[in-house]
Order: sequence, then structure tokens, then C-alpha cells
Amino acid sequence: MTTVPTPSLAGEVDLSPEPRRLAGLGAVAPALGLLALFFVVPVVALLLRSVLEPQPGLQNYAEVFGSTTYLKVFGNTFLVAGLVTLVTLLLAFPVAWFLAVAPRRWSALLFGVIVLSMWTNLLARTYAWMVLLQGTGIINRMLMQIGLISEPLSLINNLVGVTIGMTYIMLPFMILPLHATIRTLDPTVFQAASLCGASRFQVFRLVFAPLVASGVAAGVLMVFVMSLGYFVTPALLGGTSNMMLAELIAQLVQSLLNWGLAGAAAFILLVVTLAIYAVQFRYFGFGGGEAR
Amino acid sequence: MTTTPFLSIRGVAKRYGAVAAVEDVSLDIAEGEFVTFLGPSGSGKSTTLYVIAGFQGPSVGDVLLRGSSLLRVPSNKRNIGMVFQRYTLFPHLSIADNIAFPLKVRRRSKAEIDARVQAMLRLVRLERYAERMPAQLSGGQQQRVALARALAYDPPLLLMDEPLSALDKKLKEEIQFEIKRIHNETGVTILYVTHDQEEALRLSDRVALFNNGRIEQVGSGRDLYDAPATHFVAGFIGNSNFLPAKVASASGAAFEAVLPDGSRLPGLTGARLAGASLAGAGLKAGDDVAIMVRPERLTITRGDDMAAGLVPATVTATTFLGDVVHVLTRTSWGGEVSIRLPCDGFRGEPPQTADKVRLGWPAGAARIYSAP
Amino acid sequence: MLLDFDRLGWLRYALCLVAVLVGLFLLLPILLIVALSFGSSQWLQFPPPAWTLKWYGQLFADPEWLTSFFVSLRIALTVMVLSTVIGLMASFGLTRGRFPGRELVRALFLTPMVLPVVVLAVALYALFLRIQLNGTFIGFVIAHLVVALPFAIISICNALERFDIAIEDAAIICGASPLEAKLRVTIPSIRLGVFGAAIFSFLASWDEVVIAIFMASPDLQTLPVRIFSTLRQDLSPVIAAVSSILVGFTAVLMLLAAFLRKDKPS
Repeated sequence: MTTVPTPSLAGEVDLSPEPRRLAGLGAVAPALGLLALFFVVPVVALLLRSVLEPQPGLQNYAEVFGSTTYLKVFGNTFLVAGLVTLVTLLLAFPVAWFLAVAPRRWSALLFGVIVLSMWTNLLARTYAWMVLLQGTGIINRMLMQIGLISEPLSLINNLVGVTIGMTYIMLPFMILPLHATIRTLDPTVFQAASLCGASRFQVFRLVFAPLVASGVAAGVLMVFVMSLGYFVTPALLGGTSNMMLAELIAQLVQSLLNWGLAGAAAFILLVVTLAIYAVQFRYFGFGGGEAR
Repeated sequence: MTTTPFLSIRGVAKRYGAVAAVEDVSLDIAEGEFVTFLGPSGSGKSTTLYVIAGFQGPSVGDVLLRGSSLLRVPSNKRNIGMVFQRYTLFPHLSIADNIAFPLKVRRRSKAEIDARVQAMLRLVRLERYAERMPAQLSGGQQQRVALARALAYDPPLLLMDEPLSALDKKLKEEIQFEIKRIHNETGVTILYVTHDQEEALRLSDRVALFNNGRIEQVGSGRDLYDAPATHFVAGFIGNSNFLPAKVASASGAAFEAVLPDGSRLPGLTGARLAGASLAGAGLKAGDDVAIMVRPERLTITRGDDMAAGLVPATVTATTFLGDVVHVLTRTSWGGEVSIRLPCDGFRGEPPQTADKVRLGWPAGAARIYSAP
Repeated sequence: MLLDFDRLGWLRYALCLVAVLVGLFLLLPILLIVALSFGSSQWLQFPPPAWTLKWYGQLFADPEWLTSFFVSLRIALTVMVLSTVIGLMASFGLTRGRFPGRELVRALFLTPMVLPVVVLAVALYALFLRIQLNGTFIGFVIAHLVVALPFAIISICNALERFDIAIEDAAIICGASPLEAKLRVTIPSIRLGVFGAAIFSFLASWDEVVIAIFMASPDLQTLPVRIFSTLRQDLSPVIAAVSSILVGFTAVLMLLAAFLRKDKPS
């Protein structure tokens, strides 16, 4: 009837008649200070440089949006991120479904493989794909041995290489939120639906699909956003002709020392990322995501 | 001249902005007493307990233990024992280590701690569980350990905040018995909070009944049942029937009421309202009142002979319950009245559904309150 | 029926097939690296013509690899300790505190995890150029702390939110001071969350490569930076050996985590 807060001693022995207004602020202070000094300040400073260097104005943004080279990088970034998201979704959905319904021993085994892969050092995994995909690599050699091809396919330093490598990295991030959603579904709902006369396809379309939509959205948005800003795998498996945004930012800073332009590119990447998270938060809450 | 009370709660109120959890509570408790705070949820009984424990300061008022104020003493220095509603054993410590914890923070010697832990385990009859972890114990056992832990340092005062509310009925009764026994053995003063009146009546020397942040009445269970001071107490403790009525005339001891069907209750005059029965003081003609009669005090007479009883009603249901028969009736104005009759309390057949009956009660059985 | 494995009909076989293929897709590359690290072929032929330990020999004979390994280890251990302690304090403040803007602070604490690392890397690089922290141990620790802290805070906050605060109250009523109650009761009770925070923080630093690439100097290179710069030149089997050691490292951590979870009192 009344909304009286549950009193508790922990955290503060509050003998005063009124609750303290700033309780707990001292405990967060070190973390807050660290992040303010070494996260907020440098990021804001970088973004400011995009409108201050070489002279105040929006010329950096004009250059980014005016040059076909940079526009191509944007296009390529979205293409790779979209492609990777699509492929991981197609692969991850059946796997998540399998994990939810298969006998415990099988799903536990597959789960172990997924976690092992996710926890393995990123460079080690990328290295594996460089070895597999190179011109004299195992895949090309096997395909030639069985006579499917006569010339080695070009699988690395191009779109194919990046997509395969990124899909490999991103798969766990799609499987886990999907699995978290499917696992919570109540089987009796589906029995009820089919007792109501729905065919298997109708049950899938009218009951299953809407119920897993939030998990799909969480996975899709997370993988897409992570892919947009990814650096290592595209840098090692991609080619110069399909550079992605993160690599561009790195190059602008490291080779060209063009901080203004790098700031502008970083700002654009940030805005897109935050916008997608805002959409997710607005429509789905912080659903299902579990990232390492 | 005046002896200092052991524990004295003086005009305590606790407000959260505009919401008052406790309005104004005052109560003195004697050493060794078992007092229960009873009341519905949100009535302020737990908040009063938290003020005593030191979870929060009161907005106004004071709490004195042996004459000195507790308010400036932090909880960990109050030396009060407490058993909580939820299971609060330290999950990473064994049962023995849980009981030893308050002694360890008090820097007692190892020999003393060991002896005390053994004594406490014996007190709650869990000697064999010393090395178990809390998660391996049932809820009832966990609360017994919590009791042992709270008593280990010999606190003068033990607070218990609905400690049994998570347990099932049978276990509850078992542990109530244990608590009673431990109270007798240790002589510790206990303040017990519950919303279960049966538990309150079974355990306590005195019950303080809370409502809307105030104590409505303090007394033994018998006092509260037989002489409820307010309409709320009458309705909360035990089963009760309330008949709405209007005061027709009131002057001194003479008092007449009119029921909604227009029938007068001449029997309410004089002798039948003598003494404490008239709880609502200062009633005057035209006031709305409620006449309370316990179901077991009502008598039932068949037929609609005006002279045979006071209130005409129709039987709507009869339930045989072994030792008693429970009769549900409906008055002409639509009010429900329930009656508990001992199986040998009527001649011939028990009343049947749709029977016309008249309800009455012996002198002194009815109490009158101003309508809420 | 869509959730009943035995009544899926043909779908069941389709699901199994995809699951097996994806499982192999995820597992085989990792096994391959380990196999190749023991293979004799400089050109990473598979199956290898012969088995050998020479790549491991080369690895351990090269002081640069060893130095990088210990640089990474020192940084990661420092980050692990600091991140766990600061994260522990911050988590108490976030779950128990009542200060204005608490939700904003919580959001800020998690932001480094969701932003593209490259932005943070470039931004920190610029700042550290100015205050001369690039290529220093402290610089690495600070940068990795920013990355690791969100993981520590999530892990400890989760544990703290599941911990019944009444237990800490009970400790205080028993006579423990609020700090003593936290140290002797609350923190031991949420130790799984704290260990999780430590492991995640360690890994966040140990595996971090993007920021490290910017900040590394020839004198101070973490292991991932050395792998990255080596990979840009050639696919030496020595990398396979390093990678295999990292895989083994991961497997040990996973077993440790699984062991901790089993130890958890129900």
C-alpha cells in the first residue's frame, strides 16, 4: 500500500533521519576518475580535433563525404558488416535451435566448442584462417587435389577472406543471444498452437518467429555494430582495395598524421554505433547480449 | 520512585517524504518479556523494529535501552541480536563458523568461542550439523542456526522479524515451540514481528497490534480478543461479525440502536452495554456505529418470532465441522453473519438452508464501535 | 513440437547437419594450428611431412618473444588486480549507492565495452603522445584498465545484485563494522563474481591488440603486438607455436572457470 523503501544497514549505517544524498559516490570515484581522464577526455578531444584541425570548420567532414575513396571505405564497411551479419545469422539460428532442443550431452559438447573458439586468442584464430585461405593454403591445395579447380582461388586479401574470417569471429556472438532466447521458450505454447490446428509451418511463422524476434534483433545488432568497428581481422585478411573504416582511421593517424580527418571518421563511426545501440535499447532493451 | 523500563520506545515516527511508515509509537517493555508486534503489512511494525535495530534513525522520538538512548549508537555496537525474515546465514561459512562469527568480531578467546558455539548448537538442537554448510540445511534448520548466532553473544534484547514466514505450517509450529522453549531457558527479552495472529497469540506475553503506523492496542492475547479497544482490533483478532446500526438515543447508561431494517435493539440498553462494552465513548443520537459479536457468542432461534431473538435472518449455508457447526446467515438488509455453534448447542436438527431464524447474544457479548 | 527434438521430423536432421558443420568450422582451425605447430613444413603443409618441436625451440630461443610474453603477463596481472579492486568498489557504489545520476554513471562504466576499440585506441594514443605515456608500462596498464573495467563491473555487479543484502545486515547486527561485514561476509560470498572479474580483466588485457599496436614502442611490445607485426610479414610456423601455447592457456582458464562454477554452493 505504501512505497516504503526496504531499509538496510549495508553500505551505510544511516542513523540520520533523512537518507544521505551522495551515498556510494565515494566508492565509484576511482572508476569514475579513471574513465573521465582516460576515456571521456581523450575521445572528446579526438572528436574536437575533427572540427579544429587543421583549422576550425567542417572541412574534414566535407572531405570525408566528398571523396570517392572515403565513401568507398564506408560502403565497404557496411557491405562487410552486413554480409557477415547475414551469414552468421543463417548459420547461428539452426545452431542455437539445436542447442536448445538437442540431448544435453550433444549440446554441452557443441557449447564447449563455441566457448573455446570464443576464448581463443583473436590473433591465433585469424592466423589459422590466413594459413587456410592463402594461395598455397590447405583449402586451395585440397580443392586442386580433388580436381575441382586447376588454379588456386584468390581467397585472401579480399572480400571473401574478410567475410570468412569475420564470420568465424562473430558466430559465437550471434549464437549466444539467440540460444538465450530460444532456451526460455515454453514448449507447451507450441503444443497448444498445434492443437489449435496450426500446421508446422504456421507454428513457426506465427508463434516461433515472433517469440525469437528479440533474440534475433539483439544478435544481429551486436554483430553488425562489432563488425563495423573491427580492426584486426580486416587488417590481416582484407586487401587494400576493400579497406574498412577502423583501418582507415588507423592509417590516417599512423601513416598520414591527419588527426582532423581521423577524428571525423571516428566521429562518424561513433555516431553510427551509438545510433544502432539506441535503436536496440529503445525497442528491445538490453536483450540477450553476452559479450566477452 | 519510578523504575526505569528495560526498553522504552518513545514517540517514534518515521517519514519518507510525505509517506509516514510509523506515525507515533510509544511502548515500554520489561526485561525478559516476549512482546509481539502484530499487524498487516505496511502497518509500521517492521519499521519500528528497524529503528530499534538501528537500520535507520527515526524522524522523531527516541529508543532507550536501560535508560540510555540507542540512537547515537551504531547498529554493530548496540549488542542486539536479530533474526531476519530471509535466511541470512553467511553462505561461505559452516554452521559452527556462522555461530562463532559474532564472537570472533568481538575478539573472544578461541576456547570461549568453542565452548559457546557448542552450547548454542545444543540450545537449538543442531549439534550434529556443526560442520555443514548453510546450503545443506532446510529453511527451518537455517532459522534455528540464525537464532543460535543471534544469541551467541548473550544480547540483552533479541529482535525477530517474521522469522518463520517462509516456512510451512507444520514446521512453523515446531519452531514456535522451540522459540518458546529457548525464551524460557535463556530469559532473553524478545521483540517479535509477525502478521500471523495465531503465531502472536501462541508466543507472546503481550501483543502490540499495529495499524497505519500506530499501536491500536497493547495487551495479552486474551485482552485483545475479549476486549478489543477499537473496531480495527476487533476485526483483526479472531473472527467477528459487525452489524451496522444507528444510535437512536443515548443518555448515560441508556442506549438504543436501530438496525438498517428499522428494527430497534432495545436489548442494547442498560445492562447489556454496561461497563467496557461501550467502546465508542461519547456517542450521541444519529451516529453510525458497528455492533461486534463473535461468531461463537451468537445464539440462534428458529422462526421469526420477534420475542425470541434480536435480529431476523435467513440461513444461507450450514457446514458441519466436527466439533462445531458453522452457520452462515443473511440479514434482511443483506449483511452476512456467521455463527459457530457447538454440536450440542441446539435442540433437535441444526438449522437448514432457507430457514428463517433470529439471532441473539447474551449480555456483555456485544461491543459497540463508532463506524469506521 | 518445434522444441521437441524427437518430433522435429526432417528438420531434426537438418539441424544436426548444420550444428555439426558449424562445430567443425569453429573447432578445426584451432586444432589445425596446434597440429601445424608440430609439423616440420616451413610452408605449413597439411598433413605435415614429419613431426618436430623445432618451432617451439626457435620460439624459446628468441629472447624477443620471451620478453614480449613477460611484458604481456606483467601488464595483464597488474590490470587484473587494479581492475578487480576498482571494479569491486565501483560495483558497491552502483548497486548500493543512492546518488543522483547513478544510471548515467552505470552507462558510462559500460561504454568502453561497446564502442569500437579503434576509436579509443586513436584517442588514447593522441593523449599519451601529449603526456608521454606511449610505450610505457603505466600507459599500457591505464589503457587496458579502461578496456577491462566494464567486464569486471558487469561480473561483480551481477553477483552483488544476487547477493541478499540482509546477510550483510545480519553481520553488522552481529557486531561487525560495515567495512568488516563487507570484507568478511559480502566479498567472500560473491567470490565467484570477483574471480570472474579477475579472469575477464586478465583476458581483456592479455588479448588486447588494437590499442597496443598504437602504443607499443620497439622497447615495449606486448605478445599480441609481436604476433600482429610478425603476421604482417610472413606466416612463420613460430606463430603456430605461440598460438598453440595461447590455446592451451585458454583451455586452462576455461577449465578453471568451469571448476569454479562447480564449486559454487547451490
